[in-house]
Amino acid sequence: MPRTVFDKAGERWVRHIASYSSRRGFLARLSLALAAPTLPLLPVARAAGAEAKAEKKTDFERYSQSKDDTKCNYWKYCASDGTLCSCCGGGSHTCPPGTEPSPISWIGTCLNPDDGRSYVIAYRDCCGKQACRAESTCRCDGDDRELPTYRAQLNNDIIWCFGNATQIYHCSTSALVSVAN
Amino acid sequence: MVARSTGFWGCVLALSFYFPLSLPAAEPLQPEVSDVATLKSPAPPHRFITNSGFGAGAGFTFFDGDTGKMEGNISAGYIPNLAIAPDSSKYFVSETYWTQGARGERQDWVTIYDGPTLSPVTSIRLPSRALVGKVQNFDINASGSRAYVYLMQPASSVVWIDLKKQAVGGTVELPGCSLVFPWGDQGFSSLCGDGSLATVTISESGETKLSHTKPFFDPNKDPVYEASVVDRKSGHALFLSYTGLVYEAKLGATPSVEKPWSIQAAAGLPAAGTGVDELAWRPGGRQFIAYHKASGKLFVLMHMGNYGTHKQGGTEIWVLDTKTKKLVSRFPLWPTPTSGAAGSQHPPYYTSLGVSQDDKPVIFLLNPDGNDQILDAATGDVIRKIEAASGGSVIVPDL
Repeated sequence: MPRTVFDKAGERWVRHIASYSSRRGFLARLSLALAAPTLPLLPVARAAGAEAKAEKKTDFERYSQSKDDTKCNYWKYCASDGTLCSCCGGGSHTCPPGTEPSPISWIGTCLNPDDGRSYVIAYRDCCGKQACRAESTCRCDGDDRELPTYRAQLNNDIIWCFGNATQIYHCSTSALVSVAN
Repeated sequence: MVARSTGFWGCVLALSFYFPLSLPAAEPLQPEVSDVATLKSPAPPHRFITNSGFGAGAGFTFFDGDTGKMEGNISAGYIPNLAIAPDSSKYFVSETYWTQGARGERQDWVTIYDGPTLSPVTSIRLPSRALVGKVQNFDINASGSRAYVYLMQPASSVVWIDLKKQAVGGTVELPGCSLVFPWGDQGFSSLCGDGSLATVTISESGETKLSHTKPFFDPNKDPVYEASVVDRKSGHALFLSYTGLVYEAKLGATPSVEKPWSIQAAAGLPAAGTGVDELAWRPGGRQFIAYHKASGKLFVLMHMGNYGTHKQGGTEIWVLDTKTKKLVSRFPLWPTPTSGAAGSQHPPYYTSLGVSQDDKPVIFLLNPDGNDQILDAATGDVIRKIEAASGGSVIVPDL
């Protein structure tokens, strides 16, 4: 069976995490923190579950579009906070040259206006350069299902560049992970 | 001839206005000394401090709200936080640097600044600190003898600093909890992902004790805002939820949380719900809750929106009496002329405010562009506008 883009991306991501976890042991300790009994496990499954119950559209979903990924209302950006990498030399799921994606991310669930399906989105920061100085229309703050920092995996204010060479935030990407329901 | 003579002397008279005869000069101007200003001490009653940016060029700007003039600045590192000594004799800045700008070795510090001169006194190296733009990630205790720094790496924890010894005292791990709300001199509380409060008590000898309250809010349906406020001296805290429920709490070694009241109900309106199509007046913004301790009045930026608009700035300030749980005033705000950091997803309304703690309080109001306004806290009248482009949040000294 030929490998899909997702297979290749998944392999790259896993290898990337493996390269860090073996050297620094950081992710293991972070996982321990996230697995504490006071936090729900499996944020992806949880985000999907939340969406499955939601039937009415949020403000963002009512006005989202699927044509221009340099605009804040592009459908995948429903919980994206920060400057769009698509305005900074990258794309909606692509980091600009010389930066690197954060190995972990926060999670959102966004409605695609074309097919009516909800998708789980991984919001990965691109790290290693000072904040991209794009025009103000590229600075976005989608808040759908966003929670405070004490629910870290659903918070979009945290600089997610944990485990990166430099924890300086440059811009935000939104990578589609899977169908949510 | 007469006419010609008159014209001649007329010209002389006219020229004398343009080229007056030189008079003996007064004393020449004296040479100037290149000296350095200091901040007013004690602090003026309406001093406020704004933060500016989070990357290169980040720092804090001091203003005197009564004159509208800038008093001074502190330059700081990445995503800095500021705490103010009770008597404004010192300022404490938590900050992060990389040795080669955007790369190199990471260094986390708490730097102590002298109050009047705004000069650095010393820096205390930290093991880490959270890189999240939240005011509540860093604070000091009531007397200013300890500082608390929230960090997420390698695990959710709080580092406490002995400010007398100017050294790290220890680290308390807080799985599933974040932020610091100091009470008294002995400890602090944090908000947790299960809806409870974590309480940390640190003895004089540095022994720590951790306990949890029962969950008092639902973090999935109606979480309380990180921008909630606490009076460090009394431990009286006001936690405000996304929908507008106020949970009053007495923080301390054995904390207690009262039943919540609705700020919409306090205004004679139905309490706001959690529906994404449920239009109501809702709190929101960045640092949008302020409390005037002496009068017990709560100031909240409010906007009309559905559930999920918790970062949208305010179009009104609601003033609530926490003793009677009633609305006192609503101050409509004029929309700001341009949009700011919130970009095209949010209307360009006001995102941060603070209130002075004197007996004639004023409100310090920020929009995303950093255009500050000073309002009379009793009437809502705009006293002064300051185009400072200082962004971010307002920090107000305790008096």
